[in-house]
Amino acid sequence: MKILIVDDFSTMRRIIKNLLRDLGFTNTVEADDGTTALPILQTGTIDFLVTDWNMPGMTGIELLRAVRADDKLKTIPVLMVTAEAKRDQIIAAAQAGVNGYVVKPFTAVALKEKIEKIFERIDSAK
Amino acid sequence: MSEDNASKLGEFESVVKDGAVDLLNKLEVGDFSGAIKIIQELSDARHTSFYNEVGYLTRSLHDAIRDFQLDSVEMMIQSGVDSSEATSKITDASDRLNYVIEMTSSAANKTMDMVDSSVPVASELQTQAKALHKDWNRLIQRDLTPQEFRELYKRIDAFLKYTDESATTLHNNLNTILLEQGYQDLTGQVITRVNDLIRDVEERLVHLVSVAGRVDSISGMEHEAENKEKNDDRGHGPAINKKDNPEVLNNQDEVDDLLSSLGF
Repeated sequence: MKILIVDDFSTMRRIIKNLLRDLGFTNTVEADDGTTALPILQTGTIDFLVTDWNMPGMTGIELLRAVRADDKLKTIPVLMVTAEAKRDQIIAAAQAGVNGYVVKPFTAVALKEKIEKIFERIDSAK
Repeated sequence: MSEDNASKLGEFESVVKDGAVDLLNKLEVGDFSGAIKIIQELSDARHTSFYNEVGYLTRSLHDAIRDFQLDSVEMMIQSGVDSSEATSKITDASDRLNYVIEMTSSAANKTMDMVDSSVPVASELQTQAKALHKDWNRLIQRDLTPQEFRELYKRIDAFLKYTDESATTLHNNLNTILLEQGYQDLTGQVITRVNDLIRDVEERLVHLVSVAGRVDSISGMEHEAENKEKNDDRGHGPAINKKDNPEVLNNQDEVDDLLSSLGF
């Protein structure tokens, strides 16, 4: 299970990376916005995407839409971890096909719960 | 400051009013050349007032810019920096905010470094304590061979030594984390100063806008208020006054409720 963490702030990437490690996911890679994340996704080695929304260059919602529009990538589960909390934005993310949405500041419990829920749903769909 | 100018503007208004009455009177009695002369006088008065107001606006703008530079030059001189290196207050504020980003980033990283170096220590303590506890219970139940007892003897000695060292490491790491929180004080002071500058700039801008408004009233210019809705796709950053904004959700529970109402 290889996870790509996309956030423009290195400290936030580190926090998420550490929390994922505690949950048993040690294989992670990082990118600082959608533009740098897409080529990594296109290598076909990423199983799970955790992305921020507000980033310079390509934003998280744009990255999500690009992933869902790409036949090779569209099934990758995407968890959004962001400070963006407008009703319309959450609806937009849901419509774009997000699998989970965690608002910052978040707790380790909230992140764990969302990730487990996503994997439960994937397992039951198999 | 602007009282003098405001009275000039009032003067212009009364010239227009009086001129309008004269103009009507002249037209009623059929004195067209007299009427044209009044229109010419009004136009001249408008031009004069217009130039006065534009001049005043320019001076105000100039003063505002000069004040910013003077303030920062004085500050630079006080802090022993050559005045040729003096930057504007805005540049200075921008540098200060960059300093906040650096400070917070460094504090966050150092704190996480300390956590990273503490977690394995705590894990190792736990592993060793569990293993010892198991054999300790066997000792209580007189279930150990003499050879095992001698081993346990040594292990307990080693464990006590390791516990002492680990406690020192953890203690030092926690202290480092505590000291790193000093960034809050330092960045707080910087942000307070930048806040003061923003308030100052706002006051000056409001003054400039009121002066510019008088130019507009003479020239008859009207500005359409632009209504730029910020694009959701680009993001808005963290919401500050969540309670005052019904469009913004307050916490994870509200987000979960919204998503489940959408069938998630």
